Amino acid sequence: MREPRTLRGRDLARVAARTPLFQAAWNYERQQGVGLACCLQPALRRIYADPGERAERLAEHVGYFNTQPVLASLAVGAVASMEERRAAGGPDAPDRDEIARVKTGLGSALAASGDALFWSTLRPLAACLGVLAAQAWGSWGAWTLLLSYNLGAVTLRVRGVWMGYRAGPGVLSARLRARIQSAIGALSSLAVASCGLLVAVLLVPGPLLRPLGVQAALVAGMVAGLATAARPRPSATQWALVLGGLCVALTWR
Amino acid sequence: MSQELLGTLLVAGLAAVDTVPLGQWMISQPLVTAVLLGALWRDPMLGLAGGAVLQVLAAATLPLGARTPEDYAAGGVVGTGLALALAHGHPFATTRDAALLLGVLAGMLASLGGIPLTRWQRRRNEGLARWCEGRVAAGDEGAPLRASWAGVAMAFGLGVVYCALWLVVGLLAGGRLVSGESLRLARAWALAQPLWMGFGIAQLLHAFLRRRPRRAVLFAVALMGGWLARILEVA
Repeated sequence: MREPRTLRGRDLARVAARTPLFQAAWNYERQQGVGLACCLQPALRRIYADPGERAERLAEHVGYFNTQPVLASLAVGAVASMEERRAAGGPDAPDRDEIARVKTGLGSALAASGDALFWSTLRPLAACLGVLAAQAWGSWGAWTLLLSYNLGAVTLRVRGVWMGYRAGPGVLSARLRARIQSAIGALSSLAVASCGLLVAVLLVPGPLLRPLGVQAALVAGMVAGLATAARPRPSATQWALVLGGLCVALTWR
Repeated sequence: MSQELLGTLLVAGLAAVDTVPLGQWMISQPLVTAVLLGALWRDPMLGLAGGAVLQVLAAATLPLGARTPEDYAAGGVVGTGLALALAHGHPFATTRDAALLLGVLAGMLASLGGIPLTRWQRRRNEGLARWCEGRVAAGDEGAPLRASWAGVAMAFGLGVVYCALWLVVGLLAGGRLVSGESLRLARAWALAQPLWMGFGIAQLLHAFLRRRPRRAVLFAVALMGGWLARILEVA
C-alpha cells in the first residue's frame, strides 16, 4: 500500500470551478467524456504523483460518459473519491472496471433524476415565473427567471462535488431520490399555479379588460396547444409557425 | 445603429455559449436576451414584448434524451434583435407591431434552423474529443481543458455568424415589408401574440398536468383567484 495522498478542500474547489465546462465539447461519440476528464484533472494531479500514471488515469475518463449537467457534480465528486481510494491501494481499492461500472450506473441514474428536476420542471417553472414577473415589473422578469433557476442549480452544482466526494458511489441514495421526487412535485404545483396566474394577468393586464377578440385568441391558442401537445411531431415551434402564418393570411385584406 | 447591431451579435455569441458549452445559467433564454437587447437598443418594452412570446414557446422545448431541441438561444436573439432593428427610429405603433411579428416569426425559423447547426457542431466536437484523447495518451494533461475552451470558442463563433446571417437577410427582406405593409402586419400581430401566448402556456400545462387532476384544480383556482384579484384591483 502506498502513502495516501488525499484530496483537500482547495482541490475539490478547483474541480467545482471546472464543472461549468462539463458540456463544452459535447459530442455524439463520447458525449461528456472530455468534460468529465477536464473536471477530474485537478483531483488526479493531486492524487497521483507519477505523471505517467496520472495520464493513464486521465485517459480512462476521456471515454464515453453522459449524465445531466447539473447533477454531474455528484458523479464527479464520487469518481474523485474512488480514484483517491484506488491510488491509496489496498484490498478494498476499486479497479478500472469498477470505476467504469459506477460511472455508467451513476450517470444513467443521475440523468433520469436530473432531467426530471431541472429540464422538465425547474426550467419551465423559471420561464413561467419570469414571464409572469415581466408582465408586472418589466425587465425584472429576466432577473426572476435567472434567480429562480440558478439559486438551486448553481448551489447544487458546486455543493454536489463535495456531496459526491463524501458519499462516494452511493451518493444517489434512496433519501436523496425521495427528496428530488418531492421537490419535483412541489415545483410542478408551483408551475401550474403560476401558469394560472399568467393567464389571469394576460386577460386583465391593466386597468381595462383585454378586448374580446384578444381573449378569444388567447383561449383559442390554449385549445390548440392542448390539442397538439400530446404528439411529438410536428413540434410546438412548427405548430406556432403555422398559427402565425394563419394570422397573417386572415388579416391580409 | 451599427453599434447596436454589433452588440446584438455579441449577445448572440454569449447566448450560444450559455446554451450548452458553458454553464447553462439560462442567460440564453429569450426573455433574458430580450431584456439585454432592449437595453442595448434603448427600447425595453419592444424587447420584452417579443421576448415574452419566444420565452413561452421556448419553455415548452426540452433538451431531453437524444433529441436535439430547437435552438431558442439563437431564436431569441434573432427574433428580438430583428424586431428591434426593424422598429429602430419608427415611432408609430403599427410599424413597431409589424416589426414584432416579423421578428418573432424569424426567431422561430432561426430556432428550427439551429437544429442541424447544433448537430453539425456536435459532430465537429467529435474531432475535438479524438484530438483530446490522443493528446492525453501522449501525456498532455492540459488537453481536456484546452479542448473544452475550443468547444466554447466554436460555439461563440457559430452563434455570432448564424445571427449575423439572419439579421442581414431579415433586414433586407423585412425592411420593405415593415414600411409598406405595416397595417396588415400589425393586425396580424394583434391576433398572433395572444394566440402564441395561449399556445405556449397550454403546451407547458400539458406537461405538468398529465394524469394529475389535483394540479388541474390548482390551475383553475390560481386562474380564477388571479382574475378576480385583478378585477377587484381595477375596480
